[in-house]
Formats: sequence, structure tokens, C-alpha cells
Amino acid sequence: MRKKLFSAAVCGSALLLAITGCSTTSGNGTKDDGATGSGTGADCVIKSAVPISAAFSLTGAAAQYGASQKNALELAVEDLNKVGGVTYELTVEDDATDPKQAIQVFDTLIASGAAVIIGPTLSNTAKQTNPIAQDAKVPVLGVSNTAAGITEIGDYIFRDSLTEDAVIPQTIKAAVETLDVKKVVVMYSNDDAFTESGYQAFAAALKDEGVDIADTLTFSKADTDFRALLNKAKKSDADAIVVSGLIDAAVPLVTQAREIGIDTPIIGGNGFNSPALIKGAGKAAEGVIVGAAWNSASDNEQNVKFIEDYTAKFDAAPDQFSAQAYAGLQIIDHAVRAECSAEREAIKAGLGDITDVPTVLGDVSLNENRDAVHDALVQVVKDGKFAILE
Amino acid sequence: MLVEYSSLITLIALTAILAFSFYAVLIAGQLSLAQLGLASLAAFTSSLVVPDEPLFGFIPPLAVGIVFGMCVGILAAFILGLPVIRLRGVFLAIATLAFGEMVRIFLINQTWTNGAQGLGFPKLVGIEVAWIALIVVAYWFWRLSGSRMGRAFAAIREDELAATTMGINVARYRMASFVIAGAVAGLYGVLLAYFSRFADPNEFSFTAAVDGLVTAVVGGVTLFVGPLLGSVFLSVLPELQRLLGINAGWIRPTISGVLLLVVILFLPGGLSGLIPRRKSAKRLVANPALRPDLPALPAPGTELVSLQGIGKSYGGVHAVRSVDLSVQAGEVLGLIGPNGAGKTTLVNMVTGLTPPSTGTGVVLGAALTAGTKAHRLAQSGVARTFQQIKLFNRLSALENVLVGGYRITHDTLLRRLLFLPSARRFEREAVAMASAQLIRVGLGDKAANAAGDLSYGDQRRLEIARALASHPSLLVLDEPAAGMNHVEAGRLSELIRSLAADGIAVLVIEHNVRMMLATCDRIMVLNFGEVIASGKPADIARDPKVLEAYLGSAGNDADVEAASVLAAENLAEVAVELAREHEQGPDAVIGDDAEPNGAAEPEDKR
Repeated sequence: MRKKLFSAAVCGSALLLAITGCSTTSGNGTKDDGATGSGTGADCVIKSAVPISAAFSLTGAAAQYGASQKNALELAVEDLNKVGGVTYELTVEDDATDPKQAIQVFDTLIASGAAVIIGPTLSNTAKQTNPIAQDAKVPVLGVSNTAAGITEIGDYIFRDSLTEDAVIPQTIKAAVETLDVKKVVVMYSNDDAFTESGYQAFAAALKDEGVDIADTLTFSKADTDFRALLNKAKKSDADAIVVSGLIDAAVPLVTQAREIGIDTPIIGGNGFNSPALIKGAGKAAEGVIVGAAWNSASDNEQNVKFIEDYTAKFDAAPDQFSAQAYAGLQIIDHAVRAECSAEREAIKAGLGDITDVPTVLGDVSLNENRDAVHDALVQVVKDGKFAILE
Repeated sequence: MLVEYSSLITLIALTAILAFSFYAVLIAGQLSLAQLGLASLAAFTSSLVVPDEPLFGFIPPLAVGIVFGMCVGILAAFILGLPVIRLRGVFLAIATLAFGEMVRIFLINQTWTNGAQGLGFPKLVGIEVAWIALIVVAYWFWRLSGSRMGRAFAAIREDELAATTMGINVARYRMASFVIAGAVAGLYGVLLAYFSRFADPNEFSFTAAVDGLVTAVVGGVTLFVGPLLGSVFLSVLPELQRLLGINAGWIRPTISGVLLLVVILFLPGGLSGLIPRRKSAKRLVANPALRPDLPALPAPGTELVSLQGIGKSYGGVHAVRSVDLSVQAGEVLGLIGPNGAGKTTLVNMVTGLTPPSTGTGVVLGAALTAGTKAHRLAQSGVARTFQQIKLFNRLSALENVLVGGYRITHDTLLRRLLFLPSARRFEREAVAMASAQLIRVGLGDKAANAAGDLSYGDQRRLEIARALASHPSLLVLDEPAAGMNHVEAGRLSELIRSLAADGIAVLVIEHNVRMMLATCDRIMVLNFGEVIASGKPADIARDPKVLEAYLGSAGNDADVEAASVLAAENLAEVAVELAREHEQGPDAVIGDDAEPNGAAEPEDKR
């Protein structure tokens, strides 16, 4: 027994050693190895590579989003390293769609000397991880967090993803102007942070535009049968149905609405902004109006090239998540070159001054709340494609 | 190192605390998935009461939150336990799972929780707090494991019915384990929220509950360090893979999954099964001076059981009809009859396991009614064995007997927590008492063996030792000699006589008619639920109705054998001879059969 105890102790200490042994990278790796370069903007030259880290959900429930974000970042690093002067070294870590994992990932990324952290994929995860970066004074750029309260965490937290608060008023305004909507029924899933804040934005925007809300109906993000709710909505004789739901709910909801004979426009939140809607709902998706931060139909020159390159490299069309991730690195590149430094403080200062930077999303600025400002696109499904609503 | 891994180290502690919450119910054999629901209730309600500033200037806000969260956990677990505690196995799992889901939906629809968008919490928990909390919890479970309460949990896990007949109030202990789990879950919820600074109800989901359960099972429930081992294993795996340079993506969860599979397949006792167990709980204490002072048994001749017209019917089937029965202290009453005669039903009524349909009865001062609880009768001094052996198979022989001593030992948990010397004394008394019984039935050298590994005859004897450990006034033996050979049966007969000589009333059912004629003071013969004969062994053996009953139901081995004993061996002569020998003392009866070495001689007659 004594022998067994001894061997257990040896194994235990070996494990501990393995953990400590591998953690010798110092916490301030960006300080003294030529992180600051010479020149500014396009002329900026930094000798050593700028360490960029990202924490995305590569496995788990949000894996599909994380995968496109990772692809887009890889493409962006490739493109930006071609420009010369500044090179980027990308580390992408997986948070497994688990906030507890994400907390550990942030610890690791901060300790390994990341100049800036991109991510995490989900807003509720960001609420747990970003305070860690804020405490360690490491700038974070969210590329898909749309919930309220993210950038309020601190002055090191930025995002290039338009919040529902920014997109939805534009969507409602466009819908009211083009379709003369006066009375709507609102439906939303109340057990998801993203769709619930989307609902709040819709409610506020509808009030601002003076649209009547005939009824508000809630469902669960796991629901797939909406017929009972839709029948109720049909009876209220509204001009449009406003829905804040995830794509999993969008497809059956839209299909079932058309089935029971609702032919009024359906206005969706960002959850509806996915090619999967058209693919899944087919003809039923015609006439669905969606506001979005990005649209594949946008004729922005950078965007056209991005879609071409992405499709060629990954053999799949990019979505909004990849576009925002790609734009994120463009914004960081701008911030690094502005101060021509890869130090965390410099990048933070640079991110604070982002004004009308041309990206795949269009010209992006970060406002005094460190939130993104750019034009949203209001689209309508027409002939099996997203088209700009006019 | 500490900075880079502070979150990891903290989360190991927190995950271990969650696993302890599952451990608390698993050690009592219950599968509850309500823990995450309880944790989220505690976390969100604590946000309502935790002050910004220290309370009264010195109580830290976190302490308020922890105490409040644990109270919420206890209360919610108790309220949930009231309806679901009677459920077993998968039904309990489903009911508790539903509770977790109810809590999640309830919290999502409350305004004060900020719904699905979640609630921010100040950061009050770091490495130190988390590990202190873990150490306190682990310490508590460590001290629990050797206490009477810990043994009662183990007994319930192994066999609820047997535990009941040892005097253990199963419902209360199950509820206790539920409430303990609730307290630990509440602690986890509060600590997690104040560590991660944010909580939304969706985080406390079914998936998280399964994670907690997996952590507890991987760690193992046989030793109190199990949850910690499970937590270290599962938390360090992803980190280790990251360090080894395995790229993020699907390959990491796959490796983790394979390792998990390996642990579950090859370590059925979990990781803690790798740790050699302390042997002290398996050592006998043979010194008679260490045995506790026990209350005296009722004086010989005192009527302990008195049944009048007792009957039991299941629908139209009358298993037992209108039986009168009386058992006095110090006598051996035999109950014989063909299979299906209602013998076991009758003793089940005497021991409170089956409520009688008709008639009245008093056992050790307690009336037999529909509300009579078996554990109450056991506590007043009834002990029994079972026709189908019901041992706590994974516990050692000595531990089995220790559980049997439940009635006469003290609950030592609080004393053990404080390391009071009396805890050690009480434990030693209990072991001394149990050792004496093991030695008495001749199992002294097998104390450390798992009960399930013993031979059939040894298991029968161990059951008797376990029953004796409660210092019973009335001992009910249901076919104790089944599967024993002549020699063993002879020793058993001797043991039964010596118990009666000590003043214990023994009620014994047995098919071995020869042994019964030799052992019993009185014999009652049942057939089709009715008493067909009752009296001294000699008279019973001569009663033609008895022989007829046995012959009438031929076709069964035991009955044929019994009939042959009664008939073929010159019935009357045998009876007269045995009756004569009986008067000369029990030793003379088995003198023909017993081994001369006297191995079964009880070494310590009290």
C-alpha cells in the first residue's frame, strides 16, 4: 500500500510539473521584443510578429458560428501579411461553447502574451470572460457579440458587430416606409439572451415609429410547432408579423405561417439573417424582411473580393459571422498601424480612434461607447435570394 | 503559474463541489438531477440579499450569500423531496430532471433575474475561497463516511429493505441525503455566480447536470476524494491537450471522450478505486471489555409477541387466516409447513413489513396496524433474516454487522466532525459489538471479505450475526439452514439454543424438520394459511395432520424431505427419543452429527 501511495504521489507531482513546466512564457511577451515599430499607417514596420489571439466556439452548440469565424480570421491574416510591414501571428482557441472553458482560455491567452483578443463567439460567454481581460488590461474586440452590456464591461472592450439596437430601428423604419405597416403582432423566444434583447429593440423601435402592437406572443427557442401561436396572430389581422428568434425557429415558423395562410410580410431579427432560411423554408421565405449588418449582395468592392477569396479557400460561402470576423482583423490592423505598435495599450488607443475605416462591412467607426457604427442593410427575400429592400 | 491557471484551479474546486452534491445522493443510492436547478435558485436568489458592504460592518457579503444560498438549497431540496422521495432509480432521475427544467423556465420568466439575458454578479470568489469551501465540504464527507449516518447511507444504497429491518428510517435518511445535496448545490451555485461574475438560467441546464453527474461517477462514490479526482481529471484534460499542442477543434473532445470511456470501462469504482482503502474498518476488536453496556433483555417468560386472529389476504387469496401466536422471551418457536403455507407472510407481519388485513397484534409493546413501520419495530428490538439473503453485498462482513448495530450505537457524525474522543470510543464500542457477533457465528476470520464474496452458508450466518448486532429481544430467522449440510445445521441449532438461553425470543421458519424438532421449544404448523397443529415438538411429530399436510403437497423437494423425516424414520420413536434427548440439553441432540472439535462453540456467552 505504501508503494502504491508513493507511485500515486509521483504521478501527481509529475502532472503538476507538466503543467507548470509548460507555462514558462511570461505574461508580458509583447514588451521587449520589438513590439513597437517605426512609421505610421501604411509605412508602419514592426519587426516581430503581432500576436493575435481568438477564442471562438469551435465545438459545442455554437460550433457552426465559431468555424466560420476561424476561417475568416485565417483568411484575413493571410491577406494582411501580404501587405508587408506588419505581420500577424494568429492563435485560435476553442471555448467549447462553455463559459467555464472560455474563462480558462482567456487566462491562457492573456498569459501567453496576446496583444489583443478577438471573441468570444457568444454574448453570454463574453460577459464572463471580458472582465478578466479588462482586469488584465488586454484589449478585446468582439466580432459577434450583439447583446447589451458587453462594452459596458470596461474601456478595453470593443466590438465591430452591430447590436440589435442598431440594426432593428433601421429595419422597422424601412418596413414602415416601404410597406406602410400600421399594426403588427410580435413573437419572440424569451429563453435566449439574443432573441430577448432583439425583442426589446423591436418593441422600442415600433413605439418610435408609432406602430400598434396588436399582440405579443412568446415561445421557447426549442419549439418547432408554432401553429397555435400563428393562428392567434392571424386572427388579430395585423399588417406584419415581427419575429425575434433564432434560425432554428425561423424556418418552421415561416413555413407554418404560409401554410395556415398568413401572407403578410414577416419581419425578422438578426437570427433570420442566414442562407439557411431560404434553403430551409424555400418559397415560404419570400417576402421575409431582415435587417443585417452584412449582406452578400452588397456591392462594396472589398466585400466582393472577400466573398470570392473565402469561397475559393474554404469551398463554402461566407456568412455574416465570417464577414464580421474578417472586418475585425481589418480594424485591428488599422489600430496597430495607427500607433505602429503591437503593445496592448497602443492597440487599445488605436481601437478608440477607429473612424470610417473601410472594411468588408462598409465604412466602420467605433463610437465613444466602443460600439460599432455602420449602415445596416435591410433585405427582403426575393426570388430565392436576399435583396436590398427598396 | 498561479495567475495563468488561477481560473482553472478555481474551477476545479467549484466543479468538485458540484460533484460532491451528486456524491451526497449517490452514496445513498439515489440518482437525482435536480442539483443544477437548486444551484441556480440559490445563485439568483442570493443576488437579492447579498449586500454591497459588509453586514454590521464585519460579515463579508459573500458569507451572507453562501449562508443564504445553502439555506435556499436545503429548503428547495426538502420541498422537492416531499413528493419525489418515494421514487426510485430512473423515475427519481426523471422527476428531478423535470424540477431542474421547471426552475430554469421559472427563472427565465422572472424580471428580477433579467431573464435569458442573465445577471451580473460582483467578483467575490477567487482561488482561496473556492478551495476553502471545497476543503470544508470534503472534510464533512470524509467524517461522514465512517459515522453511523454514513453506514446507514451505504446500507440504503445496497438494500433498502434490509436497511429498514435494521431500524434505519429509510425515508428520513433518503431525505437527509437529498437535503445535504441541496445545501452543497446551493453553495456551488453561489460560488460559481460570484466567481464568473455572470449567470443566466440557461447555464444551469440539463447538460450541466450531466457534466456534474459524470464528474462524480468518474471520480467514484466509494471514497470521499472521488469528486475531487473526477473534477481534476475532467478539468485538466482540455488544458493538458492545449499544452501538448493539440489543435483546437473536434479532436480534443474526442480524446477526452475516449479517456472518459476508458475510465468508465476499466475502473468501475471510478478514479478513487485506484486509491487503496484504509483497512481499519475491517479489523476485529475482540476485547470484550470494549463492548458497550447494553440494556438487559426482557426477563425469560415475558410475552413479547401476541397475535390474535391475525390474517392477511391479497385480493381473494388468503395467505394467512386467523392465526393466534404468542412468543415469550427465552423460547424458540418453530414455524413449519409446506411451501406456500403462509409462514413468511406471518413473520413479515410480525416484523412490520406487511400490515395485517384482519386481527390484532402487539409486538414488543407496539400494536400492528397499517401504519406500523418496520424500522420502528426494529428499533424496539425486532431483528430478522430473510429467506432470500439480503446482505449489503459490496460492504465487508464486519461493515454489514456494524450496520446491524445501528439500533444500539450512537450517531457519531457531529462528534467525528469535531474529533471528540467520544467519537472514537463509540466507534470502537460498535466495532467490538459487531466483532463479537461475527466471532459468535464463526466468521471471525472473514471480517474483511465483501459480503457478496462469501459462500452461501457463510452468508446465512452473516445475516444472523447482523441481526444479532442490534441486541434484539426478538429474533426472526427465515429458513436459516437453507443450503446448509447436516454439520452446519447442527451448529446452527446449537447457536439458536444458546441465543434462547441468553434470553432472546427466537421465531424460526425452517424446512429442516429434523433440526426443528431438535431445536424448538414449541412448534406451530401452518398449512394454507391456517394453524393445523401447535405444541411441543414431540406432539407435532406424532400429529397425523402434519404428516398429511406434507404428503399432500408432494412434488416439491423440501416437502418430500420433510415428509420423509416425519414418516419414514419411524415417526413416533424419533419424536420420543428426541424429546428425551432434548431434556438432557441441546448438546446431546446433535452429539451424533456434530464434529467433535466444537468449532461452532460460541466463544462468548453473555
